[in-house]
Amino acid sequence: MTFEMISNTVAALFTLAIFSFLYKENPVYRFAEHLLVGVSMGYALPLVYKNAFIPFVYRPIFLEHKFILIIPALMGILYIFRFSKNLSWLSRYPIAFGMGIVGMGVPMSMNSSVLVQMRTAMLPIDSLNGVIVFIGTVTILMYFFFSKAHKGVYGKITNIGIWYMMVGFGASFGYTVMARISLLIGRIQFLLGDWLGLIK
Amino acid sequence: MKIFAKIQSLDRRYIYIIVALSIIIPLLIPFNSRIDTTKPTEDVYQMIDSFAGKPNKAILMNFSHNASTLAELFPMEVAVLRHCFERDVKVFTLCFMPDTAPLVDYAINTAKEDFPNIKAGVNYCNFGYKPYSLFLPILLGMGENIAEAVEIDSEGRKLENLPIIEGIKNYDDLNLVIDFSASSSVFSWVTYARAKFGANVAAGVTAVMAADNYPYLQSGQLIGMLAGIKGAAEYEKLVDVFATQQREFSKEIIKEEIVPITGDHPIYGDKIPYKFKKARIGMNAQTVAHLMIIIFILLGNIGYFANRKKGGKK
Repeated sequence: MTFEMISNTVAALFTLAIFSFLYKENPVYRFAEHLLVGVSMGYALPLVYKNAFIPFVYRPIFLEHKFILIIPALMGILYIFRFSKNLSWLSRYPIAFGMGIVGMGVPMSMNSSVLVQMRTAMLPIDSLNGVIVFIGTVTILMYFFFSKAHKGVYGKITNIGIWYMMVGFGASFGYTVMARISLLIGRIQFLLGDWLGLIK
Repeated sequence: MKIFAKIQSLDRRYIYIIVALSIIIPLLIPFNSRIDTTKPTEDVYQMIDSFAGKPNKAILMNFSHNASTLAELFPMEVAVLRHCFERDVKVFTLCFMPDTAPLVDYAINTAKEDFPNIKAGVNYCNFGYKPYSLFLPILLGMGENIAEAVEIDSEGRKLENLPIIEGIKNYDDLNLVIDFSASSSVFSWVTYARAKFGANVAAGVTAVMAADNYPYLQSGQLIGMLAGIKGAAEYEKLVDVFATQQREFSKEIIKEEIVPITGDHPIYGDKIPYKFKKARIGMNAQTVAHLMIIIFILLGNIGYFANRKKGGKK
């Protein structure tokens, strides 16, 4: 038995253990679920140590003597105080610093998610697509204008917006079904193909 | 009418069995179905193909997912890598999630097996896993100088010493970033790499994320998109029809040509290797499973309305 066969058999048995939940909740399922969480953490820790701590903390500070890096390293250590009841407030400093970095992206996000989207929604209405997009954009924007009661003619217009959104949600849900079935297909392809060798 | 009442109270586990069978049977007995390619997929293919044989152009594949979405994203990653290897397009790979690192190796090794002349550091380069805290510095740094921003590849070699980096300096040369993602990470590439440096960005996403990405596709901020297993199947077909036969993309040819997954292929002979048609075989199962789900929805609704007419549950 080769290593690949053994590893595939282990993976297949755990796949079946997870699938057993479809029959009903059971200890085998729970064991597989907990093992997954543990293995993921166990795998990530040494990898982060090797790829983050050694090259970006240990090597520059202790071997290359770039002592300025002690400041961000200490800032990072403050995260650990999250677990202390009395000193958890210290963990807010690195979080605040992180939020500041997120703020850096606000102007560029405004550009890509608002300005460019607005510009492309303001094209001449010279095709059926253009008409559909125009009606959809206007009616949905009107639906989200809550300072006016959705009654009478205004209510009817906002109803069109609701229909547009329903079509959007339907498309999203259709894609979600496709994605979930794809995951099942992937697992069955693994069981039948990689493990049992039945798919050629 | 009794049957409708029975359907309404059917144990869900019977439905699970039927859905499982509707997937297992098409996988065991594959059939040739027509895969029509869509414009977002064709656009990604054409852009990568336009870099064929150009030493001063490259693409970057960013892997932003873990093993849970391998079923949808792995076939498209293999198909894109295979396209690059077939058409001599330089390719870089990168990931910011620790458990994604082995998946990058797995995709490269799967695609590379059939290309003995493809070499690491020459035709492709795996930047490897970088901590997520470096996502922004690397993403922005690559706009100035890739070798300085990334520094070393997955094997610890200095990037500036590798032959692949010759002629590739920043996003002007690395002119396509494809983010294979099961999350919204593609927006970061659009927000920073696209908006700040004008890099071309494409997405290879799970079907769940596809609807979220369409507005960016429509506004031209994404040059193309592979959506779920369907996108992967389309790309597999494009590679089989054009790249493996060293042909230029043509709308007419792709419309006419059906690549039989169970029959002859001009390059692979009697059968295309399973790993290169995985998404297309998966699409067969997907089609049957969708049909079953539609039938279940119809039966459920008929049962509901029949019951209601009889004065049952409202």
